Amino acid sequence: MSTLGRILMVEDDPKDVELTLTALEEYNLANEVVVTRDGEEALDYLNCRGKFASRADGNPAVLLLDLKLPKVDGLEVLRRIKSDEKLKTIPVVVLTSSHEEKDMVASYRMGVNAYVVKPVEFHEFVNAVRELGVFWAVINQPPPGSIKRT
Amino acid sequence: MERWKVRFPRLVSTAEHYGLAVLSVSMALSLALLLQRLHFRDAEVPLFLFAIAITAWYGGSRPAVLALLLSCTSFDFYFAEPLHSLRVSRFAFPYFIAFASFAALVAWFSAVRRQVERELRQARDRLEIEVAERKLREEETRSLNEELGKRTAELEASNKELEAFAYSVSHDLRAPIRHVAGFTELLQKSTASALNEKSQRYVTMILESANRMGTLIDDLLAFSRIGRAETHKTMVNLEQLVQEALSEVREETNGRDIAWRFGILPVWFGDRSMLRLVMVNLISNAVKFTRTRPHAEIEVGSTDPAQEQLVVFIRDNGVGFDMKYADKLFGVFQRLHGPEVFDGTGIGLATVQRIIHRHGGRVWAESQVDKGATFYFSLPGTAGV
Repeated sequence: MSTLGRILMVEDDPKDVELTLTALEEYNLANEVVVTRDGEEALDYLNCRGKFASRADGNPAVLLLDLKLPKVDGLEVLRRIKSDEKLKTIPVVVLTSSHEEKDMVASYRMGVNAYVVKPVEFHEFVNAVRELGVFWAVINQPPPGSIKRT
Repeated sequence: MERWKVRFPRLVSTAEHYGLAVLSVSMALSLALLLQRLHFRDAEVPLFLFAIAITAWYGGSRPAVLALLLSCTSFDFYFAEPLHSLRVSRFAFPYFIAFASFAALVAWFSAVRRQVERELRQARDRLEIEVAERKLREEETRSLNEELGKRTAELEASNKELEAFAYSVSHDLRAPIRHVAGFTELLQKSTASALNEKSQRYVTMILESANRMGTLIDDLLAFSRIGRAETHKTMVNLEQLVQEALSEVREETNGRDIAWRFGILPVWFGDRSMLRLVMVNLISNAVKFTRTRPHAEIEVGSTDPAQEQLVVFIRDNGVGFDMKYADKLFGVFQRLHGPEVFDGTGIGLATVQRIIHRHGGRVWAESQVDKGATFYFSLPGTAGV
């Protein structure tokens, strides 16, 4: 693994955060994960505002986005990212609990790069998260300006 | 009481009518005598005729006959020769006959006119009643329509609510069950060596239950989606659907001895993906419930495809079911076999029924325990070209 892209995870449920991080840790993908707990925090991170005002510049290699979030919900975060010149190249993966077709259609309309429904069975969940992590943080060439650890 | 009210005024009014005859004739007579005294000539004829006409007009035909008789008598007595006698001289006889005939004619005309008018009046009354009734019915229709509109709005609202409910189920119910499954698996991994066999079995059971709960939620959501999704109806090649369903159950049929028989299925009007789900569910059921048979037979066909509706059947020689549970067959989460014998969540046939109902058709089944089962569904509409 030569480079590892930064993963920005937007997830309000601490149990989900822990499970996802555990899954990523198993494959040494957890080091470059930043966790934000709601849509507003995620947008603050992306725009280097609020408590992320002092962070180094650069976009994450991928954004793992839950849809049901406090304050600003996932679809709204997606809409704002895809309508922002600076942010719209960030690959966004929706990682949600719901099979709701409406959400899926809306997400693809707004230009989401992938849509994953979290499986109930844990090893399937681990597989899904691992594959997402490996693909987006390692295999995929992110757009210029993304944070990477060499 | 009601009868009295109606009859009493009629009696009185009949007396009044005859009274009117007497009164009008006597008034005509007095006036004629008065005019005669004032040396007016021949005023009596029009006066008597007038009296008869008035009586016929207001009193009807029988009082008119009375007025006619009275007029003739008065005319004879006071104006026809010889005067003041009821005899009529030969000389005045034609004059008297002419008067009587003319008076009779007037009475008849008036009576006929009165009859016609009464009929017209009755017809008008009937019309009025009809109009009033129609208005009432229109009012009823309008209020029913309003009620219907309200109901529709209520239904729409409750549908929206259901949708929101399903949405929340899919988001909020799935998350904790995922967590239970996830952390239990992590627990299983981290304590694999420390736990004794019994505890390990407990952990496995927690895991199995959580996963089953997950499957149930997913199936239930899929089921509710079928109720909410719009149908896109096109001409569907049912034989092709059967082939697609077969390839979907291939995993289960591998290595088994199954004799398939396929009848002729027409092209029919319906929602392709939904009907495909029907075929997959029914065929995989047939495959599942013949699992205990060394030699399974499954037949897919249709009965009298020429008729207005299409009836498709799927017949197997599997374990079947007791017909006394037939009404439970298509309920959500209804299962007639224990999970250790045949797996499944009990949502498949409920889905089939919902889809067929949405097509305006019907589902039913016939079976005997251990002698196989036949599932039927009907689809209305006309066959394709």
